[in-house]
Amino acid sequence: MSSKYYGSRGSGAPAWYLQRVSGVALFVVAIGHYILMHYHLDSGHTYDAVLARMQNPLYKALQISFVVLGLYHGLSGTWNIFRDYRMPAWMSWSILGLLYLAGITFGSLGIATILSF
Amino acid sequence: MSSNYPAGGWAKVLLAYHKFSGSWAWVLHRITGLVLTGYIMLHIFALMSLQKGKEAFDSEMLLFRTPLFLFLEWFLFAFLLFHALNGIRIVLVDLAEGARYHKKLYYAVIILGLILFFGMGYIMFTQDTLHSVAAVK
Repeated sequence: MSSKYYGSRGSGAPAWYLQRVSGVALFVVAIGHYILMHYHLDSGHTYDAVLARMQNPLYKALQISFVVLGLYHGLSGTWNIFRDYRMPAWMSWSILGLLYLAGITFGSLGIATILSF
Repeated sequence: MSSNYPAGGWAKVLLAYHKFSGSWAWVLHRITGLVLTGYIMLHIFALMSLQKGKEAFDSEMLLFRTPLFLFLEWFLFAFLLFHALNGIRIVLVDLAEGARYHKKLYYAVIILGLILFFGMGYIMFTQDTLHSVAAVK
C-alpha cells in the first residue's frame, strides 16, 4: 500500500536483509565482547588491558566494525519502530535526520577513540 | 485525528489484548533494542576518556568497577541476551524453516537466556578483585 503514495520508494528489502546480517554478526561480536570484558574485572576496566589489546590491528578492525555494525543495526531498528506510526512528513524526515546524525556523530567518536591508540 | 483516541484511554485498550507469548517476544524485542541502542551511544561517549590517557580512563573506571555498576552491567546483559537470542530465533523463522518450531524456539530462548544470564553473574561476581575496588591506582 505504501507504494501507492511514494512512487520512487524502494521495497526496503536491502535494509531488511542487512538488519538480519548485521544482527547475526553482532550476536557473535557482542557476546564475545561481553565475556572478554568480564572474565576478569581488570580486563575491561583498566587502561593497560585495553592498550594491550589495541596493539593488535585486527582487534582494532574488529572494534571499528563493532561500532559501525552496532550503530547501523540499532538506529535502523529504531527507524523501523517509527515507520510503524503515521506522522506528518516533516516529523518523519526530522526523526530520520536525527538518526543519521546520531549515527555519524557516535560512529565518528567511536572510531576516533579506537584509532587514538 | 481525535477520533483515533479510544474513550477509555490507551492503557485500557492495551491491557485488554490477550497476551500471547509471541506478542511478548515482539514488544520485548523492541524495548530491549531501544535500550541497547541508547546504551551503545552512551558507551561510546563514556569511552572517549580513553583518548585522554591512562589517568583519565582509570579514574573513570573507578566508578564502573563498583558493585552497583557491575550489577547494572549484569542487568544490561539480560537485555542483550534476550535481544540477541530472540533475534536468532527471528532469523531462523525468516530464513530457515523456523516457523514450524517458533514457539519451541522461543522457550529455548528463555531457558538458554536464563542459563547464560546466571552463568555471567557467576563469572562477574566471583572475582577476587571485585572486593578490591581500591586496588586501581
